[in-house]
Amino acid sequence: MIKEKLNIKLYPLEAIYGACYVFIDKFYIYFREIDVKNNVVVEMKPKNKLKQGDIEIVRGEFFNELLNYTHRINISKNNKKIREYMVERALFSAIDDDFDGDNDFDDPLGIAVPWEEKYGDG
Amino acid sequence: METGNKYFINGFMNKTVKLNKKLYKLKAICGAVKDFGDLADFKIKKNSNNHYLVELNNIHKEAQDKIVDEFCNYVLYLMKRT
Repeated sequence: MIKEKLNIKLYPLEAIYGACYVFIDKFYIYFREIDVKNNVVVEMKPKNKLKQGDIEIVRGEFFNELLNYTHRINISKNNKKIREYMVERALFSAIDDDFDGDNDFDDPLGIAVPWEEKYGDG
Repeated sequence: METGNKYFINGFMNKTVKLNKKLYKLKAICGAVKDFGDLADFKIKKNSNNHYLVELNNIHKEAQDKIVDEFCNYVLYLMKRT
């Protein structure tokens, strides 16, 4: 059994889930209590017997995956506003603005004025 | 997660799994209960100590050894997926 105590201030819970998920085919994964210091104990029970040397390799791989997922989550958080802005712009530019009604557009020189309105009927 | 209360009624094994509410999502647990429904009869209860208690009754003979382990893995899979 591999047992690791992880602080969720260092490794967000979503990162822990993500890292554990990578090992789900070879291990049974259990999440123990979360204590007052925000430590989660993760237990990984191998489905097949493991040699001691293999356990250390798995432990190393697990922490690498934790780092990977934590980094991804941090990048996602930092880029959230930019992504939302880009999606909004993309959706806005896809809107069809060929309206049947008013065709409002800028006319700073006042050129687009009907003759009758500008000079009257005479 | 803790497993306890392994007992037999009428030849069928029954088990109880304790899942911490802060670590396991109810939606995922319910999804796993639904998908594992053919292998055992499930009941989900809340206890006062911030745990969900999942009772497994009438566990299918062939699933008895691994059902709890596979169930917990499946809950993790559903949590990751959503």
